[in-house]
Amino acid sequence: MRLGKLFLYITFFGASSLCSQNKQLLYDFYEIPQSLMLNPGVKTLENWHTGIPFISGLSFQAGTSGVTVNDLFANDGIDFTTKVRERVLDAMTKRDDFSTTSQIEGFNVGFRGKNRPDDYYSFGIYGETDIIVYWPKDLAILAFEGNGGANIGRNFDLGDLSLRGEMVNVFHFGVNRKISNTLTIGGRAKVYSSIFEFKSTKNSGTFATTQGQDNIYANTIIADMELQTSGVEGILDILEEDTSTTQKDLASLFAKRVLLGGNLGLGFDAGFTYNLNPQTTVTGSVLDVGFIYHSKDIKNYTLKGTATNEGIDIILPEDITNLGVDLWQELVDEIEESVPFDDNDKGFISVRPIKIYGSIRYNFGQAQTSASSKDCNCLINTVGGGQNEDFYRNSVGGQLFLIKRPRGIQAALTGFYQKRFGRAFSLKTTYTVDKYSLSNIGLGLNLQAGPVNFYILGDNLLSYQNIADSHYASLQFGFNIISWNGN
Amino acid sequence: MKRLLFFNLLALTVFATSTSCSEEQDFDQFDDLSVTPTIASSIFYLESDEQFINTATVVTDFYSQTFNFDAFNEQFVAERLLEGMIIYEFENTTSKQLNITVEFLDETNGILDTENFDVDPNMPESFSREVTYGPSGKNLNILTNTSSLRVTGRNLSDTTSVSSLPEPKIIMKSAAEFLFRLK
Repeated sequence: MRLGKLFLYITFFGASSLCSQNKQLLYDFYEIPQSLMLNPGVKTLENWHTGIPFISGLSFQAGTSGVTVNDLFANDGIDFTTKVRERVLDAMTKRDDFSTTSQIEGFNVGFRGKNRPDDYYSFGIYGETDIIVYWPKDLAILAFEGNGGANIGRNFDLGDLSLRGEMVNVFHFGVNRKISNTLTIGGRAKVYSSIFEFKSTKNSGTFATTQGQDNIYANTIIADMELQTSGVEGILDILEEDTSTTQKDLASLFAKRVLLGGNLGLGFDAGFTYNLNPQTTVTGSVLDVGFIYHSKDIKNYTLKGTATNEGIDIILPEDITNLGVDLWQELVDEIEESVPFDDNDKGFISVRPIKIYGSIRYNFGQAQTSASSKDCNCLINTVGGGQNEDFYRNSVGGQLFLIKRPRGIQAALTGFYQKRFGRAFSLKTTYTVDKYSLSNIGLGLNLQAGPVNFYILGDNLLSYQNIADSHYASLQFGFNIISWNGN
Repeated sequence: MKRLLFFNLLALTVFATSTSCSEEQDFDQFDDLSVTPTIASSIFYLESDEQFINTATVVTDFYSQTFNFDAFNEQFVAERLLEGMIIYEFENTTSKQLNITVEFLDETNGILDTENFDVDPNMPESFSREVTYGPSGKNLNILTNTSSLRVTGRNLSDTTSVSSLPEPKIIMKSAAEFLFRLK
């Protein structure tokens, strides 16, 4: 229980290194090579880059659209059961969710084509964990209050149970091509190697207790529920063995699945950057259009059927021959036969959670002529080509983010301002509205000293006043080595 | 100069982002959470027409059956049962004065408790009785030790008369509503 509480604490605090699922600060922040992962068609100016392994892109995020840690665990003297009832059971809906996403970049390398300098190639590996659990409102009320008392006659929706989780390792290779001075496009191919996945997202049915037709109460269940898992049984088997080699066995299993030994899948990203005019740029990208086919280490559980229970019934004289029968066990068997709890190992396909980004940016604050800019190798927004280039130090605009979730599409809208101070320093500030917050202000810094690049992007900064009361907190950082323009 | 600026900004941002404010949290409060659902379900339904009562009565009994009933005996349930009640409902449209007993038996068929119901004849409206268990009623151990129920129907009238009401029958319904402690 203490470990569980500690995990809850860390998860909701989102301490140390965190990043939002929606990476609005990183998106189109083209001075940072990792922006290629959010738009393969982003403007690329570097000659080559290499991320410092395992610390080029670290992120961890946890969010709750409903109750916060502080709502429940603040030392406020209010009875805990009362807080759970008022702030969780009565307040949260089945559209509220708890989610956590983390990502570790193994390595990330990019280089410009020697014979085709308009092409920029990048590749790498990253590991990602993503879990979302929707609040099962009716089931929680059923567990908390029961089906008796005031809940006689209430329909409990079994479809409220919806959750999905996975750990996957991704191998990727991308090409970014400058088609013209106004258009850059890009694509990235991905191979997914699943470490584990579980999902239960298409449940339906009801449970209700009503006035019986014959007896006082009738309990009726109509169920069509399924939990699909892959990779979970193997991990649980090792944990249950609990021998001296458990840790080693677990590490070996993970290593095997990380290196394409798990259930595999394919996917792609695509994106573009287009200059409508010298000062206006639109971008767009679609990420993780793909699937994983799960065929190894599968265990699926189902609960399907319909049953009504009004207790043991004896109707005389018809049931006179039943006088010696074990009626209770017969009733239990009948219910189990009508609504069987089964398992199977049928393979299944899971579609990746598709993400879409889009933005429009207006550049202004013309600062230098092309000649002096070229001399200083300043990293500023350039458009046009040939002799008449304009350089802009400021950008302002809006971004839209969409992600496909089990209960529909989640969206976030961002307004941003970006300022560049030559090549050494650029800054981006954002204001985002989404399901979790209406007061999300973020700040991103990109620092360059010689070839060493360091970026740090902090989201939802106002939550730092009381992080326990935040619906999520976010911070991402990384180190790269970047070569600009032949340096 | 640029390198100095870089490292100063780096140090400042790492420091700023590694510290944050939070109100005091007390996770031990979770131990105080109380979850006590009320579970409701029917138990037993008995129906007999008057003709069967007339033909099946031996001495006085027209029906007697013992059947397993482990619902409250299951360890998970027995450990968490707090209080509750069993509701009995009767309708008797026969011409017979009847007596229905429900006996709660343990694993050795020893009688833990008996509920006795005298049911008047020609009574189309139902009557009910609630028997509570727990702090304000009978001992909960009666239920947690119950392994089977014996239901007996006795005819205290003759075996020839037939009620003038349509489809005369005796109906006994029963249900339980109990409070459990899940946490």
